[in-house]
Amino acid sequence: MSTTSALSLERFAQELEELSSAACAAFAQAPDANALEHARVEFLGAKSGRFKSFQKQLSHVPATDKPAAGQQFNSAKERIQLAFEQAQIRLASDRPAAADATAFDPTIPGQPKRVGRLHPITQTINELTDIMGRLGFTAAYGPEVEDEWHNFEALNIPAAHPARDPLDNFYLRVAGRQHAETLLLRSQTSTVQIRAMEQTPPPLRIISLGRVYRPDTADMTHFPMFHQMEGLYVDHHVTLADLKTVLRLFASNYLGSQVPVRIRPSFFPFTEPSVEADYFWNGRWVEFGGAGVVDPHVLRAVGIDPEQWSGFAFGLGVERLCMIRHGIVDIRDLFTNDIRFLRQF
Amino acid sequence: MLVSWNWLNEYVRLTMHHDELVDRLTMSGLNHESTTAVGGDRCLDVEVTSNRPDCLGHLGVAREIAALFRVPVTIPVPHLVESSSAVHDVLRVAVEAPDLCPRYTARVLRGVRIGPSPAWLRDRLATIGVASVNNVVDATNYVMFECGQPLHAFDLHHLRGGAITVRRPRNQETIEAIDHRTYHLFGDDCVIADGERAVAIGGVMGGAESEIHPQTRDIVIESAVFAPLAIRNTARRLNLHSPSSFRFERRVDWEQAEWASRRCCQLIVELAGGELLRGVIDVGQPPPPRAAITLRKSQITRVLGIEVPDAFTRDVLPRLGVSIDQETVDAWRATPPSWRADLEREVDLVEEIGRTYGYHQIPDNVAVPLATSGLTTRQRVVERVRRAVAAGGFDEAMTASMVPESWSRVFSPWTDHPPLTSNQPMLGVLEKASQNVGAVQFLRRSLIPSLLEARRINEYRFNEEIELFETAHIYLPQPVGLPREILALGLVSERDFFVVKGVLEAVARELTPHVQLRFVRFEAAELLDDGQAARIEAEDETIGFIGTLHAAGCKGFGLRRGATVAELNLNWFEPRAVLVPKFQSLSEYPAVTRDFNFIVGEPVMWADLESQVIGAAGPELESVRYRETFRDPQRDGPGRKRLLLTVQWRSHRGTLTGEQVDAAAKRIVQSCGEHLNAQLVG
Repeated sequence: MSTTSALSLERFAQELEELSSAACAAFAQAPDANALEHARVEFLGAKSGRFKSFQKQLSHVPATDKPAAGQQFNSAKERIQLAFEQAQIRLASDRPAAADATAFDPTIPGQPKRVGRLHPITQTINELTDIMGRLGFTAAYGPEVEDEWHNFEALNIPAAHPARDPLDNFYLRVAGRQHAETLLLRSQTSTVQIRAMEQTPPPLRIISLGRVYRPDTADMTHFPMFHQMEGLYVDHHVTLADLKTVLRLFASNYLGSQVPVRIRPSFFPFTEPSVEADYFWNGRWVEFGGAGVVDPHVLRAVGIDPEQWSGFAFGLGVERLCMIRHGIVDIRDLFTNDIRFLRQF
Repeated sequence: MLVSWNWLNEYVRLTMHHDELVDRLTMSGLNHESTTAVGGDRCLDVEVTSNRPDCLGHLGVAREIAALFRVPVTIPVPHLVESSSAVHDVLRVAVEAPDLCPRYTARVLRGVRIGPSPAWLRDRLATIGVASVNNVVDATNYVMFECGQPLHAFDLHHLRGGAITVRRPRNQETIEAIDHRTYHLFGDDCVIADGERAVAIGGVMGGAESEIHPQTRDIVIESAVFAPLAIRNTARRLNLHSPSSFRFERRVDWEQAEWASRRCCQLIVELAGGELLRGVIDVGQPPPPRAAITLRKSQITRVLGIEVPDAFTRDVLPRLGVSIDQETVDAWRATPPSWRADLEREVDLVEEIGRTYGYHQIPDNVAVPLATSGLTTRQRVVERVRRAVAAGGFDEAMTASMVPESWSRVFSPWTDHPPLTSNQPMLGVLEKASQNVGAVQFLRRSLIPSLLEARRINEYRFNEEIELFETAHIYLPQPVGLPREILALGLVSERDFFVVKGVLEAVARELTPHVQLRFVRFEAAELLDDGQAARIEAEDETIGFIGTLHAAGCKGFGLRRGATVAELNLNWFEPRAVLVPKFQSLSEYPAVTRDFNFIVGEPVMWADLESQVIGAAGPELESVRYRETFRDPQRDGPGRKRLLLTVQWRSHRGTLTGEQVDAAAKRIVQSCGEHLNAQLVG
């Protein structure tokens, strides 16, 4: 390379292009960080790099062409700098220099990230709560240990009623407490309805959700603890037609299509008339749960005038809805907590 | 209740198709379960609710059918030919316990010939699965299944002293029943006794000695009313459930008892001959007359939501046995029949009209008014907790609320009060391997033991990475009233203390980012390792516990691998949860960080150091981050450790200068030195 004679702009550009192509190629082909560093020193070294040397050629370009030459030199330098950075990124990504395309195995499992699952009963309850929420029902809660007033008396279940038999309930003893009031694990979530009506004047639209207890020996279809969802709607003109409408909307929403419902007479102490509700599903009538118009005795027990107000109530077993939904056949699986079971939902 | 098609046909003409009949019955209250062919007959199984004892006999079902299909029903009228001898001359009856037996009737037949029943009677009983015994016993059964009134036949010659006394048991009284087992009687058991001893358990079972034998000639026919509750208690205690006790428990028709007696005696004379003595012994006070009910026409629509034509009501009530005494423009006065004790109030009559008019006529598309509803705070809090814990790798478990005594005792950090105890255990809730741990009848005071059992089950099933949580109530007994129920979050993990602590902190950050949790050393010697257990405090309240099981604790629950457990009181978070955070403005200036490496004595805890740093770092402090603890006794001396941390500052007003940060760092070093004797390294 001449360092003394005048240099035409064309010649300058050509040499610049050769140099930058050589630099880009050297960076792109550097097999590792060491080689890249060598290439960097060769081309971009601050003291004796080839670019530093080439920069001196600028002084041999005729004065009129100097601005254009300077511009070309700067853009070439930027291009080389960029090529160097890309080479750095390429090498930083830590893969073998050779054969990089075949060494990449996208089928190796990702970093394990365990996310736990919610219990199918929780998921069912959330679904039921969502649906009832859209129909204007708000969740209410109450204690699971109850007194006889809330579990029986206020629900029109007097002392002589068979539902109060000690063999059909979990009555509780308190150590060291003599003549204490009778306590028991609630046998239905209707207790929450009583508490809600005692606390909130009508109109009222609630669902009560939670665990209830009956001393059945656990088998495929029974467990001494299960979950109920009960709905209660008290207003000025609530009738059986409102009940049937809400149940139809509920069933249709839960099962995902237009589902016919029917009601037929039944008997519960806290509703009059009392009905069983069925929904038509897969070609047959399936029992939904008990329901009815709130008995005037129950309204009076909580200080609501049955001449002014009326209401309906219904109760559903959550386990059965959950089992139908997921195809679970043994209720005990819900409470064994085998993680192979829990992780299916 | 099993019903014979042919038998029903004697009271009501069954001209309709079988399917139509059972569908109408189902839709009006007698749920049809199944029909089976028996001989030339059909047996219908219909479900009778406990308020309808009148349908526990063919006549009652026939009345229903007649009302539904608007056809007549034929009630048999017994015709009796009585002899000149009076019943009072051969038998005396005294009822000493009228509360247990409000009505007792007895008739006497002499010279009957015990023998097989005729084919028609055997067939009737066979259809409904009742074995034929002899003509007299079959007659009593026949009448019971006809009208729902149980009857009993005694051999008169085995009633000593020619007397019957209805009373409570004497001290230590026993009876050998017709099943030839001996029963001890006491309390409110209703004893039917002769002049000397018990001859029957009233309403439940007869005695062996006075039962009808092939040689029996003279018999007493008992048709009585027994108190439902007493019968239920006796039948339950003695485990003697019979068609008879089933009917008495549901209350029989006071008025019908005497009709049933006549009907039975007529049948016996027809089947077994003999003479019926004149008159009836009938002891007891009739119940108060049935009160008339006012039924407002407006109430029918108010309850059912539909208009029912007045003509329908006028027609159906009498068919149901309800007499209409009076009708005005807007109401009826009506009196229910003796066999419908369940009809007491206006709304009861509304139900009768509704179920016979047909619930299918009630629309399912009325306009229910709109109402707003939203998730409650509790729902939002629990949902956030569940999501945060699941994101931490835990699967949600559900375990029984009662536990065996040993589990209850081993871990109860919330209370020293003994647990509430149930009168009976939960049966079948434990795996076979755990069935030796004791009865499941203690209301749990912590979720941890139940979760440890779930962990064990998973280990034994070769499952890996067993991370379980549960949100459920725990029950803390109080001196009076209901127990305090806490909604708790329980965790059981295979990972170490600080991983689980991190999950708890993440939960707390989801709910109450403004509250500082304090972890204070804590002892639960029966389960947890002393050096790996802490009580969790916030705002001076204990809100949880966390710890790692010691080897004996693991062994006690049959665990092969180590376990860390934690429990949080979610009720505490409910009123404090920040569910709608307020925006905090973001500084646009760069942050500056400094690392510190302090040598402190072992008793100095991270929290001590952290609070000194926070106190000294000045208003521009953004964060204090723990890095690690490092021990090198050779360099730093015994009982010393190094705590490494990073402090970050950032200002809202401008870029912090080196001098500002240096000054703050100097204050930190000074404060930690003065209060904790901490020396900065380097």
